[in-house]
Amino acid sequence: MAHGNDRSGFYRVKLILVGIIFVLGVYPWLAPPVYFISFAFNVLTYITLATSWNIIGGYTGYLSFGHVAFFGIGAYATAVLGARLDLGPALVILASLPAGVVSALVAVVIGYPCLRLRGPYFAVITLCFAFVTELTVRNLDFLGGADGLWIKGLAMPIETSRSIFFELMLVLTVVCLSSAHWIETSRFGAGLRAIREDEEVAQTMAINTPKLKIMAFAVSAFFPGVAGGIYACYLTYIHPDIVFDVNISILIVLMALFGGGASWVGPLVGATLLTFVNEGLSTFVKAEFARIIYGCLFIIVIIFMPNGIVEFLKNLIVKRRLRTKFVKNKSSQLLS
Amino acid sequence: MNLTLTLQSLISGIMMGAVYALLGIGFSLTWGVMRVINVSHATFGLLSAFVSYSLFKTFGIDPIASLVLTLPAMFGLGCIIYWLLINPITRAKAVIVSSMILTFGIAIILENLILLMWGADPRLLTTSYTNKVYVIGPLYFQYPRLLGFVMALVGVSAVQFFLKRTLTGKAVRAAWQQPEASQLCGINLKKISMITFGVAIACSGAGGVGMAMLYSFEPHSHNLWLIYLFLVVIVGGVGNILGAAAGGMIIGIITGLSMAFMPYQWVNLLTFGLLMVILVIRPQGLFQSEV
Repeated sequence: MAHGNDRSGFYRVKLILVGIIFVLGVYPWLAPPVYFISFAFNVLTYITLATSWNIIGGYTGYLSFGHVAFFGIGAYATAVLGARLDLGPALVILASLPAGVVSALVAVVIGYPCLRLRGPYFAVITLCFAFVTELTVRNLDFLGGADGLWIKGLAMPIETSRSIFFELMLVLTVVCLSSAHWIETSRFGAGLRAIREDEEVAQTMAINTPKLKIMAFAVSAFFPGVAGGIYACYLTYIHPDIVFDVNISILIVLMALFGGGASWVGPLVGATLLTFVNEGLSTFVKAEFARIIYGCLFIIVIIFMPNGIVEFLKNLIVKRRLRTKFVKNKSSQLLS
Repeated sequence: MNLTLTLQSLISGIMMGAVYALLGIGFSLTWGVMRVINVSHATFGLLSAFVSYSLFKTFGIDPIASLVLTLPAMFGLGCIIYWLLINPITRAKAVIVSSMILTFGIAIILENLILLMWGADPRLLTTSYTNKVYVIGPLYFQYPRLLGFVMALVGVSAVQFFLKRTLTGKAVRAAWQQPEASQLCGINLKKISMITFGVAIACSGAGGVGMAMLYSFEPHSHNLWLIYLFLVVIVGGVGNILGAAAGGMIIGIITGLSMAFMPYQWVNLLTFGLLMVILVIRPQGLFQSEV
């Protein structure tokens, strides 16, 4: 394919994306029912979480089963900062940025010893890390313990405040997706892919693997931290059961893998689809059945589409195109 | 520190540890032999615990006696699961990681099936001998714990005997050490893997019944059991049956002592923290790994 053609295709995609973002940005001001704003907020939250997970889990190949810990740390850091500095309701949201930094710092501290472990060991240690953080928060009294923490809400109608949080989450999601896209095309991302394919070879190629891994882990912890902060302000109440729910960890992993971990499109598609499926299932069937279907999805993804649904569909389309091409050629040959 | 209390918690720790070991050997086996991390291992144990609970409640069959029924059933279930789900991914590039995610799916399905069938209430296996106690001097030996201990001893030795003395067991070990060469010697790798998986699931069934005699259990308990499994296997060394037995004892003693001398909510924190520390310091396990 010619280079120019490729570029124009790229611009078209970009234009479509800008259009989608614009429509989403305008969406809450069209005064839809509050339920739809909340639902869209949830979709965006999961997109952010899955995309940021993908930086360490998909690009680098280090499966973190404890990413919810960073989400929870962000939520708690925001709440504590807001309470300690006595910030007003409007300013508490700003505390989610330093909360993201706190998450990233925790990731650096945890990642330094843990990222030396590979494959299943890393998965286990991150799962343990999530449990440890949850239990610690639950047992520390100044964090509210098992009672949870309250955050001052915005003193305005629920539609307006929800819309504001939606816009904030939209900004975060766009930033997160563009960072993921940037990482993918940069030298940094190439280094991460090299680590995923073969870490020893990457090291012999003079790639500073420990540094890259820790950087990737910190970046992938930063966004959940900020998202946790926004989520905490949005709920105005946080509890270890809500923000440290292990199911969120599992859901993030499933979403990213379902979409496909190789590119930023995968988690975006996976998170969007699965949040819709989740919402549909939880309104129409019993929660147990919904979770059984989730379990089946895990199995189907691993056995039938190990590279994710995006790659799976792409392959299908390419195959079909090839087939029609082949058949056309053959028929034209026959005619001549 | 009170000497009697220390001794007492040491003894109950060893007895609990034996049951952890029984639950853990199958996990260690699949991980070591087939490179499959079966995250749903504990869930299968939980399933067998619930089944034996129901058998006990409706037909009055003693949990130990019902093992005659449940163990073959679990073995068959393991073989079927292997044939349908695990076999297709054994040729994948990253078997370990994909097996983890796949079995995670199995665990979710099983947990929710249990929830649908038995409900979310915590259960307790209360048999006629649950409250019976042997008293030797100042020390108490609770009957169910003793039974669990004996069961674990029998189970671990049976698996060890199977691996070291029987032809099939030797084939399992050969398949682990040299997959290609063992096939050249006429070992059917698929069949051996299936048997291994079945044996592992049967062990988890026995271990689950053992756990049910010690603790109350509910559909979510398998998450905690899973952490114990990882602890036992990682302390004992992957694929090492006697190591897993020793690892189980160590973990049992640690939890037994910490339960006696620490506030309850910190015990789990200690367990998880311990696993993290061991993983960072010595991920290959405390003992030399051997088949």
